[in-house]
Amino acid sequence: MKKLILFLWLASFASLAARAATPPTSGLGLRADNPHKWYRPTHLQLQTGGGLGMVAAGAGYDLNKKKNLELDILVGYVPKHYGGSTLTLASAKVMYSPWRVPISEKLELLPLTAGLYFSYTHGTINDELPGQYSKDYYWFSTDTRYGPMLGSRLTFLGPPIAATGQPRKISAYYELGSNDLYIVSYAGNTKGLSIGDILTLALGVKVDF
Amino acid sequence: MSLKNTLRVGLRLGWCAALLATAGCNIIEFSPNDHRVPDEFTDLNQKNLTRLLAKPLPAGDTLRFVFTGDSQRFYDQAEDLVKAINEREKNVQFVLVAGDISDFSLAREMKWVDQQLRKLNVPYLTVVGNHDLNGNGRPTFEHIYGALDYSFVYGDTKFILIDTNSREYNFNGQIPDMGWLNAQLANTEGARRQIVMMHVPPDNEDFDPALVSPFANSLARTPNLVCAMNGHNHAYRIGPLYNDGVTYVNSDAFSEKHYMVVTVWGDKQFRVKRVAF
Repeated sequence: MKKLILFLWLASFASLAARAATPPTSGLGLRADNPHKWYRPTHLQLQTGGGLGMVAAGAGYDLNKKKNLELDILVGYVPKHYGGSTLTLASAKVMYSPWRVPISEKLELLPLTAGLYFSYTHGTINDELPGQYSKDYYWFSTDTRYGPMLGSRLTFLGPPIAATGQPRKISAYYELGSNDLYIVSYAGNTKGLSIGDILTLALGVKVDF
Repeated sequence: MSLKNTLRVGLRLGWCAALLATAGCNIIEFSPNDHRVPDEFTDLNQKNLTRLLAKPLPAGDTLRFVFTGDSQRFYDQAEDLVKAINEREKNVQFVLVAGDISDFSLAREMKWVDQQLRKLNVPYLTVVGNHDLNGNGRPTFEHIYGALDYSFVYGDTKFILIDTNSREYNFNGQIPDMGWLNAQLANTEGARRQIVMMHVPPDNEDFDPALVSPFANSLARTPNLVCAMNGHNHAYRIGPLYNDGVTYVNSDAFSEKHYMVVTVWGDKQFRVKRVAF
């Protein structure tokens, strides 16, 4: 788990650093059909909620040519006042958006984004010290969460980037999700709990470049 | 999929999200450890206690309460339990829940349990369990239910509720807090008798081995102790654990579909009736 969090941290910082280190697009050094090095993220995002932080910032990649499958890596923060201790979360999301609907020249809608996320929380108070519990004393992890989510995205198309001819995009999105523990809770208690009880909401903005 | 249908999907999802976001249910959750809840779900033990103490036991009435425990992730059963107690137990003054209110120590779970138990006709009081202390359960439980160690006097009886979940503190020698317990036992605050409630009983491997004897001895030395009550084992048990005259009563878990009605009278007499629901 320590390795995984380290990887996620490094990956997100590396991608941000790579973005920062890239000189402003001049249109000379980049070819329209391959504008990005593989490690250079295709978008940045900022969100709140969804169990991934009061604030979570991240970078992500388009995983296919159709650009409807994305991987996002986020680092989130929850202050002690709300989380009981200061929490840092490293998360990964894979999102699939089957439809892209143009609304006007400058607006397009992704009516459905369906995805899965995984998150690791660092900084909890009772964090299972070695030897504290016998094996499988608790079957669940207090730090690792995963779950599904469904959402939509509204994209504003800005002026095209000279190098690629692709429009700059700024999107606003929301995601309704849940996590493994909430789903397990609901599964055995369809009378005592409702679907609404186990939902979380994330709101965010995303910039493609 | 036509444009109209796609738009409809998007609109519906968006509408759902907007409804939920404005419903005041803290759906924009920062983390599962995020313990923000509406004010009505904070400080629940104190709120229930205020309700209880507002109606003191009339002189000559018998002290009677329901004893249960381990509500963890048994929300369907919680609903049945509430219905059963409300229908059948017209002569109890309150309900005691012996810890493990939640299963994963998360705020939402504690709120879900309260959403059921607040439908009881009488107030309910809880003590913290080991399942309420994982991760950031400690501040979460404190925020939603209240102090981990507390006491109150009702019906000429002092109730002492203490955190005995030593393993969650990695056996640091301070849980249960013996100094606090001894001070509480020494001062009856005018009550005729005392009852100690905890989650993990001292004969369990999750109780700090270094504190088993001091704890048991403190209880045994208390002349007006009615009994000690605990949860954790998910199994009804009543009797002495040591040859020291102290009776330990282990509650049923919500999943056992049983609860107990405890009647207390005299200097330290009590009776337990087990009821199926």
